[in-house]
Amino acid sequence: MAKKILRINMSTLKASYESMPEKWARWAGRGLTSAITCDEVDPLCHPLGPNNKLVIAPGWVTGTPAAPSSGRTSFGGKSPLTGGIKESNAGGLSGQMIAKLGLAAIIVEGTPAQGKWYTLVVSKDGVKFEDAVNLVGKGMYEVDEILWEKYPKTAVIGIGQAGEMKLSNAGISVNDPENKPGRYAGRGGMGAVMGARGVKAMVIVDAGGPGVGIENMDLFKQGRKKLTESIQEHGLTKKGGALNSFGTAVLVNILNEAGGLPTRNFSAGQFEGAIKISGEAIAEVCEKRGGEGTMGHGCHPGCIIKCSNIYPDAEGKALTSCIEYESTWSLGANCGIDNLEFVAQMNRACNDVGVDTIEAGNAIAVAMEGGLLPFGDAEGALKTFDEIRKGTPLGRILGQGVEATAKAFGVSRVPVVKHQSMPAYEPRAVKGIGVTYATTPMGADHTAGYTICPEILGVSGKVDPLSDEGKAEASLTFQAATAFIDSTGYCLFIAFPILDIAKGWEGMAESVAGVTGMNVTGADVVPLGKEILKMERLFNERAGFTAEDDRPPEFMLNEALPPHNVKWTITNSQLDSVFAWVHDGQPA
Amino acid sequence: MVLGEVSAFSQTIGCVITLYYLLVKNGTNKTMMIHVFLYGSLARFGGKRYVAQLDVELKPDSGKMELLAQIGIPKEERGYLFINAVLCEVPGMESGSNEPLNDGDHVGIFSVDRLWPYQYRDGIRMSDGLMKALAGRDAMHHSYN
Repeated sequence: MAKKILRINMSTLKASYESMPEKWARWAGRGLTSAITCDEVDPLCHPLGPNNKLVIAPGWVTGTPAAPSSGRTSFGGKSPLTGGIKESNAGGLSGQMIAKLGLAAIIVEGTPAQGKWYTLVVSKDGVKFEDAVNLVGKGMYEVDEILWEKYPKTAVIGIGQAGEMKLSNAGISVNDPENKPGRYAGRGGMGAVMGARGVKAMVIVDAGGPGVGIENMDLFKQGRKKLTESIQEHGLTKKGGALNSFGTAVLVNILNEAGGLPTRNFSAGQFEGAIKISGEAIAEVCEKRGGEGTMGHGCHPGCIIKCSNIYPDAEGKALTSCIEYESTWSLGANCGIDNLEFVAQMNRACNDVGVDTIEAGNAIAVAMEGGLLPFGDAEGALKTFDEIRKGTPLGRILGQGVEATAKAFGVSRVPVVKHQSMPAYEPRAVKGIGVTYATTPMGADHTAGYTICPEILGVSGKVDPLSDEGKAEASLTFQAATAFIDSTGYCLFIAFPILDIAKGWEGMAESVAGVTGMNVTGADVVPLGKEILKMERLFNERAGFTAEDDRPPEFMLNEALPPHNVKWTITNSQLDSVFAWVHDGQPA
Repeated sequence: MVLGEVSAFSQTIGCVITLYYLLVKNGTNKTMMIHVFLYGSLARFGGKRYVAQLDVELKPDSGKMELLAQIGIPKEERGYLFINAVLCEVPGMESGSNEPLNDGDHVGIFSVDRLWPYQYRDGIRMSDGLMKALAGRDAMHHSYN
């Protein structure tokens, strides 16, 4: 059955269903949000103005029966944070339900009458525009509860107070199976784009939907089986493996031992309190307190990796989910805070007020360097979220992200690329990730370049880890493969088994081919991913981006990072070579 | 050589010998202390469940292998191993060299189930021994088991 595009016009409060145009027919997930953004959004428009759009799309396999860990939803448009194109994706309940309604994408456009807020209820019967006066000013924990009272067991997409204020660090929340916020399309300020459309929340009711059509069931089942087996066999993703037992925060102690854990606003690569905020520490608390606390939590139905956690309070009640590696780093080590209780409370505050944890922690760290608070002041850091919630001038500055905060506090150590702050891998110590930070169309992003099986990518696999040579080529292939995975609807963490286990790679491609009927094999992954990247790069060029935007922050060239005392060493020509193919090697 | 010169010469020799014993012989007889952090299931070797810290006393001129032997960690349980933030071993691949240790060194050892995605370690500082080991096979993998 052919999928439809649902177009919701917030100016007229009308919704319409459109057939999928041929030009978008082969895309889903990130590929589709980027294609629609490129075709329908003026790159020079104001991200909060009437000409930007919010595009929501599940992946190719999302909503199909038992495709493992495939519940991602992509949110796209022009980013208020970066000024370029943005795709930010989340787990939770929304992707599968949108797909089961037979929708390839939802496009939210236009602007309602001043001051009006709506809850959009999307079901098989169409779209209801409900007055959201009962939700305005509320955080996402309360919003999710209120909406489930009326629409139980539905997917809730929403924004907290930060999105209502259209702050550049506002994210979009998706509820998890326990109806808690915490699955965020956090990066790039897409919550502000949703807020600019006057949409406080969307409820997705999949009951009675047509489901997802599968063109070749045998091929789909074959691919699904291979991928499932590879996930269940790999040490990172299997039951009882590293991610299932300790979550992504298992990396805290490893990066700290390596000297690559950014500390106190990227002034050092090791944090003396790392152990206290690590995945091991989170697991210990869950074990001691019990109750609702748990590791191995799944963020959406059908996930077999289950890397999430539910962090309990002292009474064993769920306090927040999930404390990710990047979150405990940004709100912990990068602020010099080693108190896990406060990290957990700040994590909850981010989920409630609706901001990205990476940008939020980085903004606090920059403010600490600027003298707002001393590094390590956990109580003071937690109170900054009240400032955002109340919309005070300080809260609005912090909610704009790192760059605005750095300007307000006169700080020159500003860890951003394309105006988006860096995640938890110090690029002076982990050089390979630095190339991706600098060149991805999304702004500094650790999920933009996942390593995929080198033999299939056509790179040697013998890249010298200490040499700068080859890192540009490798980064491009990683970025292309990641753009493809972001379009499948699979969780990006399937990249771990499909790198090391060949049948996993085959299975991913076969399952996509089975669902779509497209002739997709492993050999098509990089070319298709490069098409997506090219769309995104060209959008950014039209928005005014140049090669100078593919650069690390200046301080990384001048300041040596302890303990290895290393500076940024990748040359500009190497960075420029990553996307030189977009214009056949000629300047843009 | 006059008597006075002989005496001075003897005193000089005596000082040299004394200094040798004070600075070299006694020095090499002293043990060295290594600060070890054990992560994951290896923490049990330090009496803990998740992370253990212990100071290990070693004879002079000891290296990584002597440290591992003293703690008693089986080869098949070892994953990433760092000496002073330099990566020396990865799961499933030994460097084949016995990296030297010095008094006050920090060593971090992870259990074999702790994996570190390739893209997040590409370019990290490694020991010469591990670089040679990786050069002999495809490096770009998350795991080498």
